[in-house]
Amino acid sequence: MATYIVFILAIAAVYALLAQSLVLVWGQSGMVNLGLVGFFAIGAYASALVTTDLAAPVVIGLVCALVAGALVGLAVTLSTLRLRDDYLAIVTLGFAEVVRIVASNEIWLTNGTDGIAGIPSLFDRSGGLWFHVKFAVAATLVCLLAGILISRLSRSPWGRVLRAIRDDQVVAAVAGKRVVRYKAEAFMIGSAIAALAGALYGSYISYIAPDLFQPLITIYVFLAATAGGNSRAIGATIGAYLLVAWLEASRFLGEIVPGVSAVQVAALREITVGLALVLVLRFAPGGLFREKNEKAPHAN
Amino acid sequence: MTKLLTNGINRRTLMKGTAAAGLFTLAAPAIVRAQSEVIRLGTLTPLTGAGGPYGPVMAEAAKKVAETVNAKGGILGREITVISEDDQTNPEAGVRAARKLIDVDDVAAIMGTWASSVTTAVAPLCWEGETFLTTVSGADSITELPHHGWLVRTQPNTTLQGRKFGEFCIELDAPKVYFMSPQTPFADSQFSSLKTAVEAGGGSAEILIYDDKKASLRSEVDTALRTNPDMIVMGGYTPDTIVLLKDLYRAGYDGKLLGFGYSVNAKLVEAMPAEAVEGVYTLSPSPAEGSKGYDALTKLIGVEAPDTYTCQVYDHANLVILSMAAGGAATGATVRETIRTVAQGEGEAVSTALDGLAALEAGSAINYTGASGPCDFTEKGDITDAKFRYDQVKDGKITLLKIA
Repeated sequence: MATYIVFILAIAAVYALLAQSLVLVWGQSGMVNLGLVGFFAIGAYASALVTTDLAAPVVIGLVCALVAGALVGLAVTLSTLRLRDDYLAIVTLGFAEVVRIVASNEIWLTNGTDGIAGIPSLFDRSGGLWFHVKFAVAATLVCLLAGILISRLSRSPWGRVLRAIRDDQVVAAVAGKRVVRYKAEAFMIGSAIAALAGALYGSYISYIAPDLFQPLITIYVFLAATAGGNSRAIGATIGAYLLVAWLEASRFLGEIVPGVSAVQVAALREITVGLALVLVLRFAPGGLFREKNEKAPHAN
Repeated sequence: MTKLLTNGINRRTLMKGTAAAGLFTLAAPAIVRAQSEVIRLGTLTPLTGAGGPYGPVMAEAAKKVAETVNAKGGILGREITVISEDDQTNPEAGVRAARKLIDVDDVAAIMGTWASSVTTAVAPLCWEGETFLTTVSGADSITELPHHGWLVRTQPNTTLQGRKFGEFCIELDAPKVYFMSPQTPFADSQFSSLKTAVEAGGGSAEILIYDDKKASLRSEVDTALRTNPDMIVMGGYTPDTIVLLKDLYRAGYDGKLLGFGYSVNAKLVEAMPAEAVEGVYTLSPSPAEGSKGYDALTKLIGVEAPDTYTCQVYDHANLVILSMAAGGAATGATVRETIRTVAQGEGEAVSTALDGLAALEAGSAINYTGASGPCDFTEKGDITDAKFRYDQVKDGKITLLKIA
């Protein structure tokens, strides 16, 4: 029982990191990155390959994931400069599929659909419950650090420019801001965080495969960020914890509600997740933690 | 700070909500724990996602086996409960579900993992948590994992299946074979043994890997037809095989077609226009002749022609229950130690848990032969022998040609 709860906390921290990666990109800059799971995969594979094939230490794997995430993020921004809104969403969704299909078919590099097993972890895996506790604490700390970083960045003048770009890109450009550069920077930070989440996840579970990186995860994380508030790190984080809590708590529905079969519970879980998204968008479009309005400073 | 609280939801509502959610999560396992007398087994099958067409019946079959045993008083004086979780055909969700089964429900065995990626992800949890794992996944790499005997699979080795496909093509006088399959962990090994068998018979074989999530396979079909094949072997699952068959029909292909019994199944034949599936050959692992397991399963779940996965999970449930009864304890470790003593050997041949339990009670050794085949396992956890049944779609019905 204890292992299960600690395990869920660890997974929730990974989801929280993914949700946080949307804050700067989607919440602050208005770029809908439906390719989130692609960056998650890039990080997981970068770290797994470096730590298994090259036998590098896990920390180096995490750093490689950050770098790989940022570089691929840059490539995606540069290749989608002319796209906004729905069009950007479609292209990034396609990007994630490309990553999954490349991982399935480039067998020499990724071991194809067999996936990569036996990925080393930060801590000794034989420690039983302690292994899970150590990982959960580490993942939560990383998540906390990323949250603080994102909050600081959003409050800085740099973050203000991102919001200006989100609200009207032309006005921001006219005001002398280098729109492309700001967008690229935000996208790179966001994708690096998603990649870090992938590296952490892979080293925790010890196994990754292309099947893992399905659009379903992107949808879950978008729901989490929407429910919590997509423009603030605290909102995205709380949203992710609530999502994982619901995904796990709903397993017990079948045991509490009589006459519901396992298949119905499985279907109901998916339905409630979809329903929650609709309800949140209808009744609390800003999420639980809405963006704070900034007032102009008082004139002295 | 006050602004933060007045925005959207206020703090009290949020606290109430969180507290309620927390209580819910903590209270639920207590309900489960209260029934510590029962023996708990888990199924982890895909109830949603790509494996969704197969998983629900699989879970049902395992439940039904437990019910029949419970009706006769259970085993070791205890009742059996089967807890079904959904792996969503995704290793991430599968791992979460397996953790719940192992840590919260404390199941002795997890049965029926379907996708190879899910099995590979879940296997370490099982051997670390001393939970026995039975799977229907086909990837050769699974039994190569360092599982120390905590895992067996009933799905025939893919190399063997590939060879049977190849030999059948030659037998049907179709030496030019074209193999079309989505990228799976077993596509390559299957094709290479198919190719060896076809070439031994004087034929030739080519392969094309397609993306199983595409809505049309027109260009893939064109590529295949350019080589003028006598036989197209389809290596996919039901959803993508439907797309492939439709595009082959549209392209006017009039050669022979051969697919897996689990993808070209009754459901597919019903869903497709009759002329597009007429004459398609299928091949699937089959129970040994004279085995009563298949008939028993058919009666038990009320499905006329259960697919191979359902047969296999039925066998998993029977084997796990019999191993526990033979070993005298309801733990994963007992199953690991005794499964080979009830699954193979010189004992009395039985094909249901009830027959087996009666024989064990009478003090005789047993050899379980199930709905999916003889269920004899090697040291690594692969099955040693499998028979196959060959069918053909005739007048919109899947008709048996032979079992060999």
